[in-house]
Amino acid sequence: MKSHSAWGTSKNLVKFRIPTSDNLVPIRLDIEIDGQRFRDAFTWNPSDPDSEVVVFAKRTVKDLKLPPAFVTQIAQSIQTQLTEFRSYEGQDMYTGERVVPIKLDLRVNHTIIKDHFLWELNNFESDPEEFARIFCKDMGIEDPEVGPAIAIAIREQLYEIAVQSVTSAKESRISKKGRRAGEFFSASKTGGNAVDLVKLFGNKSSVIRKRKEWDAYEPLVDLLSNEEVDALKAREERNIR
Amino acid sequence: MATDAKSPSTPNPEPSAGKLITDAPTPTITIDLPPPSDSKANPGTASATATLTATPTSAAAAATVTVRTHPEPLSSDSDIIHIPSYSRWFSWNSVHECEVRFVPEFFDGRYPSKNPRVYKYYRNAVIRRFRENPSKKITFTEVRKTIVGDVGSVRRIFDFLEAWGLINYTGSSKPQLKWEEKESKSATATLQGGDAAGGSGTNVTVSKSKPCSNCKGVCSFACFASDKRDVTLCARCYVRGNYRDSSEFKRVEISEEAKTDWTDKETLQLLEAIMHYGDDWKKVAEHVGGRSERECVTHFVNLPFGEQFDGPPESAELDSGLSSQNLSRPTKRTCISPLNDSSNPIMAQAYFLSTLVGVDVAEVAARAALAAASALGDGKLKECLKLSSGAPKQQETDIASNSDDPNSMEEALAEARLQLEKEDEELEEAISGIAVQTKEFEDYIIQFEEFDLQMERKRQQLQQLQNLLFVDQITLSFHKTPVPPKAGESVGDGVKSD
Repeated sequence: MKSHSAWGTSKNLVKFRIPTSDNLVPIRLDIEIDGQRFRDAFTWNPSDPDSEVVVFAKRTVKDLKLPPAFVTQIAQSIQTQLTEFRSYEGQDMYTGERVVPIKLDLRVNHTIIKDHFLWELNNFESDPEEFARIFCKDMGIEDPEVGPAIAIAIREQLYEIAVQSVTSAKESRISKKGRRAGEFFSASKTGGNAVDLVKLFGNKSSVIRKRKEWDAYEPLVDLLSNEEVDALKAREERNIR
Repeated sequence: MATDAKSPSTPNPEPSAGKLITDAPTPTITIDLPPPSDSKANPGTASATATLTATPTSAAAAATVTVRTHPEPLSSDSDIIHIPSYSRWFSWNSVHECEVRFVPEFFDGRYPSKNPRVYKYYRNAVIRRFRENPSKKITFTEVRKTIVGDVGSVRRIFDFLEAWGLINYTGSSKPQLKWEEKESKSATATLQGGDAAGGSGTNVTVSKSKPCSNCKGVCSFACFASDKRDVTLCARCYVRGNYRDSSEFKRVEISEEAKTDWTDKETLQLLEAIMHYGDDWKKVAEHVGGRSERECVTHFVNLPFGEQFDGPPESAELDSGLSSQNLSRPTKRTCISPLNDSSNPIMAQAYFLSTLVGVDVAEVAARAALAAASALGDGKLKECLKLSSGAPKQQETDIASNSDDPNSMEEALAEARLQLEKEDEELEEAISGIAVQTKEFEDYIIQFEEFDLQMERKRQQLQQLQNLLFVDQITLSFHKTPVPPKAGESVGDGVKSD
């Protein structure tokens, strides 16, 4: 490929998958029946048979003592997300040296986490779960539910980016038929995310971050009291509605 | 005992064993050994006793361990965790072979992310979580929210651990839904693993035909009867209906085998069914009626099988039904042979009779029958019958000498002779009928042949006439020579069309 783009020198087409060591799908559930709200997020292995979906839904409903109407809803929601994921699976996406910023901004029970870091998209060995585990250990987070939440947040963002790269690959293929010279337009769409490593790590600058950027990239973990939690919850629900 | 030797009285580093986030497993695990007290084994020793099953130390321990078939009541000391004896292989740091068997996805290398290390992490995390609060049952959803990983695998590990009593093993005496699963799982484990020395960790027995008033199903497990409300519930409905708190319900367990023995009729049915259906125990159970599959199997296995081989070889040779009727009915009876072939009534009867008379008599009768059958082929019918009747006469005298009742013998003799003669006559009639019919057929055939001949002749005549006609037409056309070619063609056409 003779184009020069923000993606660096190599650009190869790979079959779609989440660019982590295990190809897990992040699933988010947000179901409301009769005023009862069920929100959840977890990772699912898409190679599990579909019968697992119903089993899981039933188990969850039983464990949480939800009304049984939730079972079908949960199962459906999981299925749609899975099929969406699978619809991308046959297609190609671009990989290359892409480093993307990932933002964490979540509240799990009483803990607030805010973080901002860079993640390499091309590294198919990357492991958000491992990252989450180490994060919790380093930050001394006691709530065991935080780890999975972090992993899921990272995965979701990676998923989004992967999806974007699939669509961009499609578009660029279409555009090639129109014999455009370069793929700058597609690069600009998704390349906004990517950080230009060449610029950053050119001969003049060093690998170490500049001091003024430290605050932006520092992880922030906060424990809230009950009232603050309630206040935040109320605000979130207002935003959603 | 390894535990006694190695456990120095180091005080437990953590005050309450439950709260931990670090990776080091808490040293509060015990396996239920006979002197329970509060022997706190270090994780090292726990693994040592678990993995070294063949060493003499643990053999000594095993000797003293009574195989617990029912769970122990949970002590109030939260530092002791009880697990069933069939799970004593568990250790924090290693993976046992039955884990490899039951959760193979982590060990077959198909997914790079699913490896034993990850498996251990999931498993230890689940168990740790449970042991933080061992008196409370932990649900899958609680656990999976705290584990970083895909929920499908976590669920499978959770089910596996629960089935083996490593989590949610509260040891209460009330029956719970999980018992069924545990029983079936431990039953399969005994079949496969050989580690489940504890067998089914329950003392649930089966009661027969107690319908539950709630779900109208048969209570196969313990039922709960309430005299106050006059209601019988199966274990499932009891649990589901949240009756646990009410004290009205009494637990009723009925031991099945002690109450109802297998009657002869049932045994017969069972064996018939086995003959028909072979290994399909479901159908066998249906055929017997009123017995579950398991009971059928256990009873079948326990049956004495000496009686099986009394009759069949002899009866197989009795191919002539005639001789079977010659065996008179003695009054003494031997045991009923179970393997009646009820599909062929004659054979069944022959079989039955042959078993009644005893081995020697049946042998002689069989030989006589064989001789009769081979002689039949030559066409010496009557002689054969006499032969065969001669043999049973011999046997009848034998029987008469053995039997207690000579009068009935003579009657039976006369009856048999009468029947013989009747059969003779019938045979003759049948044969003559056949002869007549064959004659008729021959006549018909002769007639048809004649007709055929006539037809041939007629056809030949017709052919000759046709030829003559053809000749006439040609001569006619020659006489009309000055005729123009058109007419000649038309005449020619006319000739051709004939």
